[in-house]
Amino acid sequence: MPALLAENVTAGYGHSPIINDITLSAELNSVTTIIGPNGAGKSTFAKTLVGILRPTSGRIVVNDVDITRMAGHLIPRHGLVYVPQNDNVFKRLTVRENLEVGGFASRANTAARMEEILDIFTDLQKAVEKKAGFLSGGQQNLLAIARALMVDPSVIMLDEPTAGLSPAYTDVVWSQIARIAKLNTAVLVVEQNVERALKHSDEVHIFVAGRNHVHGAADEIAGLDLASIFLGRSHAS
Amino acid sequence: MSGIWYYIFTLVFFLFDYFILAMGLNIQYGETGILNFAYIGFVAIGAYVTGAFSLPNSVGTGQQYILGLSLPFPLGLILGGLAACLFAVIVALISLRRLRTDYLAMVLISLSLVLYDVCNNYVPLFNGADGLYNVPEPFAGVLHLTTNSFIPFFAGVTGAIAVVMWLVMGRVTRSPLGRTLRAIRDDDVVAAALGKDVFRNQLKSMLIGSFYAGIGGGLIMEFSGSFNPTAWLPGETFVVFAVIIVGGVGNNIGMLMGSLVVETLLVHLPAFLPDIPGHPGLIEYFDAVIIGVLLMVMLWFRPQGIVPERLRRAATFGVRDDLGAEANLPPDELSALAPSPVVQPGTLQARSATNE
Repeated sequence: MPALLAENVTAGYGHSPIINDITLSAELNSVTTIIGPNGAGKSTFAKTLVGILRPTSGRIVVNDVDITRMAGHLIPRHGLVYVPQNDNVFKRLTVRENLEVGGFASRANTAARMEEILDIFTDLQKAVEKKAGFLSGGQQNLLAIARALMVDPSVIMLDEPTAGLSPAYTDVVWSQIARIAKLNTAVLVVEQNVERALKHSDEVHIFVAGRNHVHGAADEIAGLDLASIFLGRSHAS
Repeated sequence: MSGIWYYIFTLVFFLFDYFILAMGLNIQYGETGILNFAYIGFVAIGAYVTGAFSLPNSVGTGQQYILGLSLPFPLGLILGGLAACLFAVIVALISLRRLRTDYLAMVLISLSLVLYDVCNNYVPLFNGADGLYNVPEPFAGVLHLTTNSFIPFFAGVTGAIAVVMWLVMGRVTRSPLGRTLRAIRDDDVVAAALGKDVFRNQLKSMLIGSFYAGIGGGLIMEFSGSFNPTAWLPGETFVVFAVIIVGGVGNNIGMLMGSLVVETLLVHLPAFLPDIPGHPGLIEYFDAVIIGVLLMVMLWFRPQGIVPERLRRAATFGVRDDLGAEANLPPDELSALAPSPVVQPGTLQARSATNE
């Protein structure tokens, strides 16, 4: 059983579905990435997974628990945590407070967990008492990912974690994502940068017009005519 | 007691009372981001309920009101605070679940107007437009206090209550609850994504803030012995907002400074000045203009207020003290810190390893 399983999920705003009949799974110790053109429904799917939007049909299962109708704030307790795109830190709280907000465990466990995470995210160590709003965009994204790890998730969902970052910092973020996946975690990423997604992912799904148009191993997807797929044509190259 | 001391202790009373009111609004707006434009309504409920519990049965008093149980101080006051909490639950259930920011603010100001009209026009509730009066002065009989000696006595009582409430509020804002409230203030969606129940925490904030509002209102009732609708026109809410914006949103000491500058020096001190000949009430209007200008000046030049929200450095969870040694770097230097492209050999273990 995968860590995350979405089966035939349809969702949208009002009576208009944005995503249709999407099936997708994410395994532990792997990076699964969703790419696609603007308006393909990638972020809508992410929001549906984490309870911000309600699916009109289908089901979502995390660690064998059906979370389809669960209130959004209860979902992290079952192992799925979401890092939104942009403005994803508490800017007027310090880095330390941001991490503490993510901690569910006892105080002792939270302290130990925070030390472990700060040992990985060394940039954040240097600014632990600084307000998060004073960090650079890349550091804020790293803080958001680090804070999500405080929840001790089995599935972490990242919505465009490298949006607006310099190429150098994009690599930093992706290297951290790869590192996280090795910690017995399933990482699901929504990404605009196709090249980097294919380089760092194990599994890739291409969404077009609200549907999971094609999916497969990253090296298989790399061999397809992606420009045609993004335009909604057949994926046979 | 000479007249000057009467004025001074009256000002001291309002300093401490508005300190309490400002702390209540601060936890709602400053700490949680709830734009409660109905705040003065919670103050009024505290005042009316305190008065109605403290007054004797209404028969033969020339007034009409509910309750009338002659409860001794501070029972009526505490019940006034709890009544404001009850109103907060109703308001939260109506508005907090579905509305945010500006829409929530519009609903709350509408609720304040509805409450005002009900209290002003439904006489059997709290004596309508005349309001409640002749509320007994606490301990005046027991301690044989005259009207003059009651003023400094009750200013002292209010000061003591304010200090206790300040200490309690300090503990709340430094606790994990306070941190969660500030997280919700900054971004409720992200907070929910981390497993925080936004509504439940906002409700807690509303309850705490409303209790402070109710106590502050009750103290006004006990101090002045009367309270009527002219004392809580909906615009009064913005005076309390001016207190916390001038003082420093998110900082309880700032609330005291705001109360001193806005409520004590600008609102109540000029009330003791003689009228300008030929222009009765003009000073009061000048007050409103000056507060408005001060509010704009503060928002433009010093939006963080006189005493800004401070960084909370308490090592709550005992993280190593050496972490954050570069915390005092300016933002530009901080953002220029070289990224670490290579992941350090961390100690973070796989989840299965740490949990099992």
